[in-house]
Amino acid sequence: MRRSSKVMRAVLVAGLVLLVAVAAWATEGHGGGGGGWMPSYEKWMDLVWRTMNFAALVAILMATLRKPIANGLARRRQAIIEQFEELEARRQEAETKYREYEGKLAGIEAEVQHILDAAVAQGEAEKERIIAEAERAASDIKRQAEMAVQHELAEAKRQLLAEVAEAAAKAAEELVRKNLQAEDQVRLIKEYLGKVGDAN
Amino acid sequence: MKKNTVLAKRYARALFLVGQEEDAVDAFGSVLSEVAEVFEAEPAVRDGLTNPLYPVEVREKVMDYLADQADATPVMRNFLRLLVQKKRVALLPEISAAYGRMVDEERNVCRGRIVTAMEMDAELEAQVKATLEKITGKSVVVTTEVDPSILGGLIAQVGDLVLDGSLRTQLDELKESITGRE
Repeated sequence: MRRSSKVMRAVLVAGLVLLVAVAAWATEGHGGGGGGWMPSYEKWMDLVWRTMNFAALVAILMATLRKPIANGLARRRQAIIEQFEELEARRQEAETKYREYEGKLAGIEAEVQHILDAAVAQGEAEKERIIAEAERAASDIKRQAEMAVQHELAEAKRQLLAEVAEAAAKAAEELVRKNLQAEDQVRLIKEYLGKVGDAN
Repeated sequence: MKKNTVLAKRYARALFLVGQEEDAVDAFGSVLSEVAEVFEAEPAVRDGLTNPLYPVEVREKVMDYLADQADATPVMRNFLRLLVQKKRVALLPEISAAYGRMVDEERNVCRGRIVTAMEMDAELEAQVKATLEKITGKSVVVTTEVDPSILGGLIAQVGDLVLDGSLRTQLDELKESITGRE
């Protein structure tokens, strides 16, 4: 209803425009071969015919093309809206990513620092461990060396004692062989007999 | 080895009991000891008495010959032949030793060995023997040996008892005490 009124209004406007145009054209003396300021009847009819023809053409065009054009324009509009929406979504997505990467970039320094700190701490711990291990190994070597020295000393002492004992026994044996007389042998036997006899 | 010892003791016990009955303990012991000595000393005799390649009769004849040489009584001769028949001749030395121990035990006698660095006179030997008898509480029969390597003093062994009063041992103990001191 509103559309038809609009059409009508457009036709009236077109007619009015046409009339004004005709009046102007007539005022300027563009009439047909009559020579007066008023055009001839045929020209008026021709004008009316043309006008009506034009109006009919406009009406037909409006009647036939209005819907497709409107639909086309609506689709175009919808497409543009969708495009806008898509672009907006993309923009928002890009912004989100931007924020994300910005956050990441902001955190990457901290992360790098954290990795560096961890690496340094690990290196320090490894250093401490290696030093401790080296100290322990050195301590072990030292203890083993001390033990070896002690062992060698004990062995040398034992050998010395054995040699001293052997020499003492040998000297005593020679002394006995040289000085022991028959009466000493008898005395030794008797003393031993006395000792074991008394003990039993 | 243990089985042989048990068997030897069994044969010795049987012979000893018969010897007591016959009042011929010493005679049996003497013959047994002689035959055992020959058996140990002469490989040919040992072979003739134990080799299973020889018939039993031949081995019995060898044993009879030994018995004759030792003036064995018929009982003793039969005992020796029994050893051949039972294939126990190899036990002769052990039987003889077990028999000797039984006789000694019966008579409360201990056998021993005295080692000295020099020859003992009779008086000293008697003194040693008396001391050993006092210690063991048994009559002691000893053999003496001279071994200069013990330097001085004596070593007496009677049964399981060993008395070591030698200077060699004392010197060894001296060495031990020096090396053992830290």
